[in-house]
Amino acid sequence: MKRKFTAFDKVIIAFAAFFFIAPLIAAAEYSARGYGDKGHTFANYSWIVHQLGFSPALLTSLRIAAITILIVLVLMVPTVVYVHLGGRRYRRLVEILCLLPIVIPVVSLAIGAQVAMPKSLQSTSYELCFFYVVVAMPYVYRTLDIGLQSVALSTLVEASQSLGADWFKTLTMVIIPAIRSSTTGALFITFALSLGEYTLAVLLHFHTFPTWATNVSQQNIYGSIAISVTTLGGAWIFLIVIAFIPRIKSLFAQRKRVA
Amino acid sequence: MDLHGSTVEFRNVKRTFGTVKALDDFSLTIKPGELVTLLGPSGCGKTTALRILAGIDKEHEGIVEIDGKDMSQVPANKRNIGMVFQAYSLFPNMTAIENVAYGLRVRGVDSHKRESRARELLDLVGLSTQADRRPTQLSGGQQQRVALARALAIEPSVLLLDEPLSALDAQVRAQLREEIRRIQSTIGISTLFVTHDQEEAMAISDRVGVMNKGVLEQIDEPGKLYNKPRTPFVAGFVGLTNYIPAVTESKSLVLVLSQSLEISDHSPAVKKGDEVRALIRPEEFEVQKADEGATVITKSFLGPVTRLGIDVGTPDLIYAEITSKEAKKIDTGDFVRLSISSDAVMIEHV
Ligand SMILES: Nc1ncnc2c1ncn2[C@@H]1O[C@H](COP(=O)(O)OP(=O)(O)O)[C@@H](O)[C@H]1O
Ligand SMILES: [Mg+2]
Repeated sequence: MKRKFTAFDKVIIAFAAFFFIAPLIAAAEYSARGYGDKGHTFANYSWIVHQLGFSPALLTSLRIAAITILIVLVLMVPTVVYVHLGGRRYRRLVEILCLLPIVIPVVSLAIGAQVAMPKSLQSTSYELCFFYVVVAMPYVYRTLDIGLQSVALSTLVEASQSLGADWFKTLTMVIIPAIRSSTTGALFITFALSLGEYTLAVLLHFHTFPTWATNVSQQNIYGSIAISVTTLGGAWIFLIVIAFIPRIKSLFAQRKRVA
Repeated sequence: MDLHGSTVEFRNVKRTFGTVKALDDFSLTIKPGELVTLLGPSGCGKTTALRILAGIDKEHEGIVEIDGKDMSQVPANKRNIGMVFQAYSLFPNMTAIENVAYGLRVRGVDSHKRESRARELLDLVGLSTQADRRPTQLSGGQQQRVALARALAIEPSVLLLDEPLSALDAQVRAQLREEIRRIQSTIGISTLFVTHDQEEAMAISDRVGVMNKGVLEQIDEPGKLYNKPRTPFVAGFVGLTNYIPAVTESKSLVLVLSQSLEISDHSPAVKKGDEVRALIRPEEFEVQKADEGATVITKSFLGPVTRLGIDVGTPDLIYAEITSKEAKKIDTGDFVRLSISSDAVMIEHV
């Protein structure tokens, strides 16, 4: 199914793209300037990695992001699938619960939830994972909900079960792949959120990539922009890789079959 | 592939949703290799019966057995039942062949075996050239063929089909139903087919069960169902029937269109002078040209027979079918005399 774009659609897309891309290009250009008008240079980028604490901060954030994604997957996918199938009664309740974090200021979340957190977690930065799961919930719920609405879920589940699959196989082999673009979207939102979240990390005195970046940017204005560009670029590359993994895999599979 | 046909038995199965009786004391036996169809209007409980047999719906009373084994403790994924749904049941992320191989993959069959077996099945349903297509790249009819191949790949003991043709166009529908029947009888699998289309049911089944509001009213061979309906509902649902106002003359005689006829066995009990309706099939009439009487209003050519719509003064037109050769002599606007040729008629209370 190929959809034709109307002229109006194209104008809107062009406008949105300009709105999105222009600041990026401007930022990239700015980040490549040198002090004292020496033309364009990558100096600001190499400056980033040479700052004290760069790799520990980045690794901490990546670890947090990975764990957050794992928790989100294990917690949210089965829950949203459940309310789409047998638990229709609970759908409103789950929806409201999942959307709640939008209206709760992170400050009150930080202080309130900090108290409820088990002692063993309170001192480690992994505590942040649980906060990020909560903060990501509204977006993840919406994304998965839309994905599940677009497939004949109960028929797929019944087909899979009648063919002998248990719940775990049905979930991992049928449902998640069937809503792959939604799952990918939910993962990406979670990843971007965990990697870029600043307020909670500062409030709870943890050193993550965003808090580190804020600290070091105060010394080099060009460098701070270079950090933004790198973060954004990195996130995009991650998204593209995730989106293309299935295609690359099927390409290999086809090669094998031909061989 | 050669399956031994299993025996399926429903015994006094009941299922209610709130106050709705979806299945009411439902009993049915499917013999090995037999194709039984459940026929009935939407909402009469056909899907409920299938879901109970498949183990998807377990909130029922009564017993379901396959080959004499009680299924109440067997979950859906251990029943080894093949299911074909109305539409949209193929896994969208898998190609046709991956869909067919899914049941084997779940069972841990190695990839060589499952690929060759899946190809065999795609061949059986005539889709060997479409193996690597995704569901969205297949037509509705092709998708249902893949769904059938997928259901058969696990060598199920029973095959269940829930209105598998109702989302397709008429031409594909007629073709595919013949093919389902051919494949079913070739491999000899016991099959429960569900439809609301009486023509479809009559065309492919060994036996047809007519359902009404959760009750299995009659189950018989197609011809018997048509010629010897046991309830007015069955008579009305299977084939075209005229409902003609009539008055009883005694417990066993009824006056229809000024003709005195015997009341058939399966009619409700009546006494003299009851106002009833007589159920008469279009081919039970003889039509003769006359100088006065009933008027022919419509005439439709149906091939070997022609259907006349005749105004006899009752609220509805009466439909009579005569051979097209005889019909040459009769035109719309002509006067005719109608007589009923059958010995006994079924009646129902007004
Ligand atoms: N999950 C359900 N909840 C409530 N009522 C249901 C449910 N499933 C079926 N029913 C009711 O049970 C009756 C039979 O349904 P079904 O077996 O789907 O009919 P059919 O397949 O013959 O159209 C209908 O009246 C339907 O409304
Ligand atoms: Mg149904």
